Amino acid sequence: MKYAQLIRLLVGRELTLRYKRSAIGIGWTLLNPVLTSFVLWVVFSFVFASRLPGTQQYAPYLMAGILLNTFFSQGVTISAESIASNGPVLTKVYVPPQVFPISTALAGLVNFFIGMIPLAIVCYISGQPLAWTAPFVLVVGVCLALLTAGIGLTLSIMYIRFDDMRNIVTVLLMILMYFTPVFYPISILSPRLQSIIQMNPLTSYLDVFRWAFSNNASATSGDWIFMLSTSLLSICIGTVVFKKFWPRTVAML
Amino acid sequence: MAIIEVRNLNVTYRVLMNRTSSMKELFRDLLKRKIRVINYVALQDVSFTVDKGEVVAILGRNGAGKSTLLKVLAGVLPPTKGTSKVDGKIAPMIELGAGFHPEMTGAENVLFYSALMGRDVKRVKSRTADIGEWAGVSDHMDFPLRTFSSGMVARLAFATATDEQAEVLLVDEVLSVGDADFQAKSRARMNSLISSGAAVVLVSHDMNAVRTLATRAVWLENGNVKMIGNPAEVVAAYEAN
Repeated sequence: MKYAQLIRLLVGRELTLRYKRSAIGIGWTLLNPVLTSFVLWVVFSFVFASRLPGTQQYAPYLMAGILLNTFFSQGVTISAESIASNGPVLTKVYVPPQVFPISTALAGLVNFFIGMIPLAIVCYISGQPLAWTAPFVLVVGVCLALLTAGIGLTLSIMYIRFDDMRNIVTVLLMILMYFTPVFYPISILSPRLQSIIQMNPLTSYLDVFRWAFSNNASATSGDWIFMLSTSLLSICIGTVVFKKFWPRTVAML
Repeated sequence: MAIIEVRNLNVTYRVLMNRTSSMKELFRDLLKRKIRVINYVALQDVSFTVDKGEVVAILGRNGAGKSTLLKVLAGVLPPTKGTSKVDGKIAPMIELGAGFHPEMTGAENVLFYSALMGRDVKRVKSRTADIGEWAGVSDHMDFPLRTFSSGMVARLAFATATDEQAEVLLVDEVLSVGDADFQAKSRARMNSLISSGAAVVLVSHDMNAVRTLATRAVWLENGNVKMIGNPAEVVAAYEAN
């Protein structure tokens, strides 16, 4: 693959550039989820910690939620923007434009894996061993990268055509976060609300992730199916939409 | 042998009248049927070929379709009708440094820019020092690009773009890069690229450059080819216009 080298460079750039001018550089990738989780833990542990069923621990529960949600929302925002922000290049040199959203999703995947290091530590501190199912988080990560890349590809076309798409997406992502059991246990909700939350694919991703990493949630086969099918569907739709609309969109860059 | 073959090329942009860039307005206008789509013809029935070692200059006023033509040749913009066939590796020298990032070092940018042009990163890696030296920025290669002067950036971009032999050079007003010394140096390199068989398409408003460099000239007006032929004659007609 001729553009594999380019993708590797792009992923590296994505990972290092954001913290280039900071003192600890890429260390922020480790620190960011820890700090965010800590703040939310201080705020919410009184309310929600005792409501988790069985032997589940709140700290790793919350942090897993934050890691996954950051991966998704940051991945979608940045990859959707990546075509517009690389417009000057794309109108001068022939590069398959898809490499930009895809690299962003891959960089998010790497960040996700890096973030699991502090998560493992938090699991250990709260007295929870890693589960033997931990390797399955690879599947979760890849599925989430596909989901993100697919949505990013579709949105990147819309971002060029409609300026206000950015604002809409920001709001939608925030709503979506509240419809995902990131910081609350799903069991505190009424059955009606629970069934709505279950319709959100991210809920399934999160269930599988928490279950696989340290057996901190229960995942059904339905969750697996929902996760695998939405990720494949997303990347297929994204690729098709992008292919169809790109020739007309490139003229607008 | 023709390296570039453009046949009956048409490019039409679809433009929304009272173009709205917000979805709300688009829905509102669609409901009221206020939206009209008009086709803006950027290029119409353009045909020409460029052979090995030939330099074809494209003349024309702003908005005549020169940039659109370069975009089609670069493979960035698909033709609406007709064909544009380019055989071989393209070195686009259009707004040099478009792929550069201010926070990355000079060396990183050279690698990245080369990867964008589809070159082999491993081979470029071993060439990086030479590229920096040729551009006269050896001491700065490990510093972020934002610390470079704009002349240094342009020189580095030119050095990177021309480091490998390309079959096709697409040039948009980049012959005036750097100081007099560097200009002479870059002109010499262009000439050696051309004499070793590159086909060049050159867009320029500098009529002297066209007269001395080009072997043929194409005059575009409102997307149509108005005249094509010997550069001296075309330039004379263009300037008389």
